[in-house]
Amino acid sequence: MGLIQIPRIKVLLAVLIFATPPLQAANQADAIKIIDEMEAIYRGESSRADITMIVQTPQYQREMKMTSSAIGEEQSFIRILSPKKDRGIATLKLDEEMWNYFPKINKVIKVPPSMMMGSWMGSDFTNDDLVKQTTLTDEYDLTLNETDTEYTITLVPKAQTVTVWGKIEYVVNRMEMVPVAQNFYDDRGELIRTLAFSELKQFGNHRVPSRLEMIPLNKAGHKTIIIYDNLVFDPEDVDPSVFTLRNLKSRF
Amino acid sequence: MLLKLAFRNIFRQRRRSALTALSIGGGYILCALSFSLIEGSYNNLIELFTLTKTGHVQIHQGNYLKRPKIHKAIDNYAAVGQKLDQLEEIKSYSFRVFAPALAYSDEGNHPAQVIGIDPDREQTTTLVKEKVTAGHYLTDQPDDDGYFQAMIGSGIAESLEIGLGDDLILISEGADGSIANDVFKVGAIVGDRNSVDKGNVYLPLNAAQTFLALEGRVHEVVLTLDSYKESESFAKRLQPGLSSLPVAPDLTISTWQQVEVDFYKSMQSDKQGNHVTLGIILFIVFIGVLNTVLMSVLERTREFGVLKAIGSRPGTILSLVAMETTLLATMSVIVSFVIALPVMYWMTHVGFALSEPIDVGGIAFSAFRGEMSVPVFGIPFLLLISFALLISIPPGIRAAKISPTQAMSSH
Repeated sequence: MGLIQIPRIKVLLAVLIFATPPLQAANQADAIKIIDEMEAIYRGESSRADITMIVQTPQYQREMKMTSSAIGEEQSFIRILSPKKDRGIATLKLDEEMWNYFPKINKVIKVPPSMMMGSWMGSDFTNDDLVKQTTLTDEYDLTLNETDTEYTITLVPKAQTVTVWGKIEYVVNRMEMVPVAQNFYDDRGELIRTLAFSELKQFGNHRVPSRLEMIPLNKAGHKTIIIYDNLVFDPEDVDPSVFTLRNLKSRF
Repeated sequence: MLLKLAFRNIFRQRRRSALTALSIGGGYILCALSFSLIEGSYNNLIELFTLTKTGHVQIHQGNYLKRPKIHKAIDNYAAVGQKLDQLEEIKSYSFRVFAPALAYSDEGNHPAQVIGIDPDREQTTTLVKEKVTAGHYLTDQPDDDGYFQAMIGSGIAESLEIGLGDDLILISEGADGSIANDVFKVGAIVGDRNSVDKGNVYLPLNAAQTFLALEGRVHEVVLTLDSYKESESFAKRLQPGLSSLPVAPDLTISTWQQVEVDFYKSMQSDKQGNHVTLGIILFIVFIGVLNTVLMSVLERTREFGVLKAIGSRPGTILSLVAMETTLLATMSVIVSFVIALPVMYWMTHVGFALSEPIDVGGIAFSAFRGEMSVPVFGIPFLLLISFALLISIPPGIRAAKISPTQAMSSH
């Protein structure tokens, strides 16, 4: 028996030693591909979106309408259209930097890196969520798990990554290839907030979830909903001139 | 008989009696004046403090005072105002909103505490109008260009390098989570660089409510009574009346002592320290009185011996000594009271000017003043007379116990 078993273990060892790294690499590569695809789903090469944001807290509910433009992941621009008192407030993200503009006081205020995890306009989305400054696939190690219907990709920050998250779970619908949910955990493994994607809608050639719900679990009664009212891919009027400080301060 | 004897004894030895009277009377004046000064300066300080800052009683929503959150506001403050209008003991009341903000100018930024006040109500409730060191007090009307006025602390004016008529940009968080941002015109500077107001920005209530998305809501109702001393009893009486208001549930009433706990506690401990000083003064006075009484008894050993010899009971002698001392004390205290009265009147109305005025809540506290009241006169009065009675007992007992032969043999 012993004589027969030794080669078996050897084979097993060989498999483990030689086969696992390529497998893991393939796994990681697939995960990166999926995440990149998911992250670009609302963006395309360039895009323009009409968005309604609803912020709910135990004390108040607030609804904002805004337009958002983006080219790639480097440049994005958001302008609030309503309510009236917030009209014209704009956010510009260019490469690594981010600015807010307040028309009432005619002032551009740069968002310091330390505020990237701060709330965007009082919502449960952070500045970072809105402008995607952090590239998930660069800053995190990915592991892919799949079931028949879903991919679940677990993202763990790399050693040098500065983040508040200990782990992110990214759930993807395999058939539609759209995100289903993102679960954010702190470094003690506790679930802090969830972002759920629902209500698939056809925009041009793309079918994407039109409703995003961000629920922070550490703040009872708080919730922010983003609804894509319209989404146009590769629009003609979105060009680099949109993503300038000059445009940020322009009257519209 | 005994009373007559006591009177006669007092006036028989005029010089001795005058010395005792002087020691008691001087003690009384010293006590009453220092008591008056201590009470007076604290009362003035507290009155000034409450009138410039806290008012006498405040009303908040829930636990706003402990954990201020912008959305913990009183919704139907007009109804609260109507209720307060019915109460006669309230001198005046006003509404306020608060928010931390960042103040900007072209020169930089500075953290600021935004305080929205009702310009008309606030100036009858607190001394806010007197804090203005430059410019004009707030109005609740915007100027011709639609800008509201702001009164800024001198710390903000200095670090932002702005003055009257300049733009003041404020950024804060609105009650609806939005980013509050607006431009105001500097209409006045309040206090100086050492004042507690140096980081404050006062806005008209209506402008502050719009700025902070708090339309129709306030954080604080501040009210003043005739005196800060009434705040505790008034707060107790107000509580049931406000709880019955169906429109504004969950209101908390706080006295100035609860609003400014630290100030109140340090005042209290300071006051206690002064009472110790007062106690020491009293003690020295008592020793003096004890000394004179004891001496006068010893001096009269022969006399008591004669009294004993002709058949006086020890109790009678004890009462005689006690009565003499008490009578003398009462008379000298009454005379000193008459002397102290004008001095105290001067201290109360003029006081000792401070070479460098102290800033209390943005108002200059420039003189230590005394207080004229029944306790200020009465407490040292009663203390001295009862102590005179008390310290006359040991020499009295000594006199009562005296043996006639021994006493009469001493000269």
